[in-house]
Amino acid sequence: MLEVKSLSKNFGGVKAVRELDLAVNAGDIIGVIGPNGSGKSTLVNLISGVFPATAGEIIFQGQSLSKLSPHARVKAGVARTFQNIRLFPGLTVWQNLWVARNSAEDTRAEGISYRWFRKSGPVKNEIDAMLEFSGLADKGDELASNLAFGEQRRLELARAAATKPSLLLLDEPAAGMNHDEIRDLDRRIRQLRQQGMTIILIEHVMDLVMGITDRIAVLNFGSKIAEGEPAAIQENKSVQEAYLGQSDDD
Amino acid sequence: MPNDYLLTVISNIGMISLIALSAYLLLISGEISFGQQAYFGISAYAGAIATTLWGWPLWLALLFGSSLAALAAGFVGLLTLRISGLYFSIATLAFAEMVRLSLFKLTYQIEIDGELIGPNGAEGFGEIRWIFDNDVSVLEYTLLIYGILLLVLFFLVLIERSRLGMIFRMLGQDPLLTRVQGLNPVRYKVTAAILAGFIAGLGGTLYAHSFTYIEPQIFNMMLGVHALAYGLIGGLGTVLGPLIGVAIDIGFLESVRVIQGYRMVVFGGLVALMLIFMPRGIFDEKRVYWLKSIARRWFRA
Ligand SMILES: Nc1ncnc2c1ncn2[C@@H]1O[C@H](COP(=O)(O)OP(=O)(O)O)[C@@H](O)[C@H]1O
Ligand SMILES: [Mg+2]
Repeated sequence: MLEVKSLSKNFGGVKAVRELDLAVNAGDIIGVIGPNGSGKSTLVNLISGVFPATAGEIIFQGQSLSKLSPHARVKAGVARTFQNIRLFPGLTVWQNLWVARNSAEDTRAEGISYRWFRKSGPVKNEIDAMLEFSGLADKGDELASNLAFGEQRRLELARAAATKPSLLLLDEPAAGMNHDEIRDLDRRIRQLRQQGMTIILIEHVMDLVMGITDRIAVLNFGSKIAEGEPAAIQENKSVQEAYLGQSDDD
Repeated sequence: MPNDYLLTVISNIGMISLIALSAYLLLISGEISFGQQAYFGISAYAGAIATTLWGWPLWLALLFGSSLAALAAGFVGLLTLRISGLYFSIATLAFAEMVRLSLFKLTYQIEIDGELIGPNGAEGFGEIRWIFDNDVSVLEYTLLIYGILLLVLFFLVLIERSRLGMIFRMLGQDPLLTRVQGLNPVRYKVTAAILAGFIAGLGGTLYAHSFTYIEPQIFNMMLGVHALAYGLIGGLGTVLGPLIGVAIDIGFLESVRVIQGYRMVVFGGLVALMLIFMPRGIFDEKRVYWLKSIARRWFRA
């Protein structure tokens, strides 16, 4: 469903991504790992259209994304989270989800009848279900900026999912989480896959990546140095040198 | 007489509130415009020409002046909103200066009752006699100003409660994230610019007919800077914020005699302090949210 073809991105002299190829099948969870600065976030930014690629192509469901603006890509079915949490701090939790849900389908009519007459419809119920899913059921009227860190992460995941994407890009969703929170996140990601989303998971937390992904691509200095099933990646010598070795040694 | 002076201050607060609201609408959408005085000025001239030279009724002149201002704002918006941040601010200022300098060149006079009337370049545009010709008292005109201000406030509250208002605030908080929610920022920023131009325009035509004399110099950068500062003082969390800012400046600083000579110093210092300690004003989003939740609890109890 997604085909990245010899994709490159230069920032001045820095080659953040070099001739990267990546194919993703529908329904898969693909892990992308690599040391800091290896180009993982840049890959997410390129797929979501935050900035244009220097060279190469991204084909999504048979259509080239390069001409599409970020908002058009969301409409086409690509959603993402950010490595540094991004929410609308001045909107409530509920509003954050509502505007996201709105991009999947025009929900203006229901929005009006809800705001003015407190009449709930299918979208309202859906958002309530999403709050439930995120463990934020009692926080709907809270400002996003008043949430604790872990809650903000959960809201961000729900917000990305609310746009009803077919491809979901998660940029280090477990960063800063404790063990229990990571287990919850694992469960939520699996749930989203069951709902039919294809997922690219960028992560440093190896337990999460190894347990949940179908395949893993390893980046180093912007190039893909390995790709395969989790077990094979764990065994791979060059991966251990480039990446896993680093943290195991100290 | 002191009564009339008080009314003049009050009506002044009302008219300046309109340009403050127009700057506010752009501020909450994340754009700092130094040029709202252009739309205030365009409408002041157009509205005054319509009543004085063409004999139109005031309501039609108001619509005409404000629509012209909205049109200009939309045009400038389309040209500049793709650039953002500092470049946008500078572009708005450049346009406003262009308008002001063009007004110096604008001469369009017609002989009425043996007298040449109409804008006359640097000499300005006097004899905007609609108030006298229609026997409208200062009190009545003040009520008219506040009626229109209330309508605008009502309209802005509606917007703030709507999806459109939410999108304006989203753009102000995080334009990239707004795009990643599938929304086209340019479309909504132009919408905000047009609405803001119209609101500033209402203030302009009202202003011209209240003072009965206008000149290009009134619509200089200081007017635009004040319009911006009012929202930043009063707060960006509610439409009442800019009004509170205007009331503090015109109602308090201008009226208290001891401050008179130092007014600009006090005002400038106030703005600087606010930007340091309350960058989004007294009633910013958080405090407004907090007040609202207290009010809600009160209602339930
Ligand atoms: N917007 C940017 N401007 C300039 N350089 C950037 C930008 N984004 C990333 N880079 C550079 O590109 C390289 C890859 O960064 P990134 O994709 O963030 O890595 P990762 O997410 O794997 O840690 C780094 O050297 C980084 O400094
Ligand atoms: Mg990164």
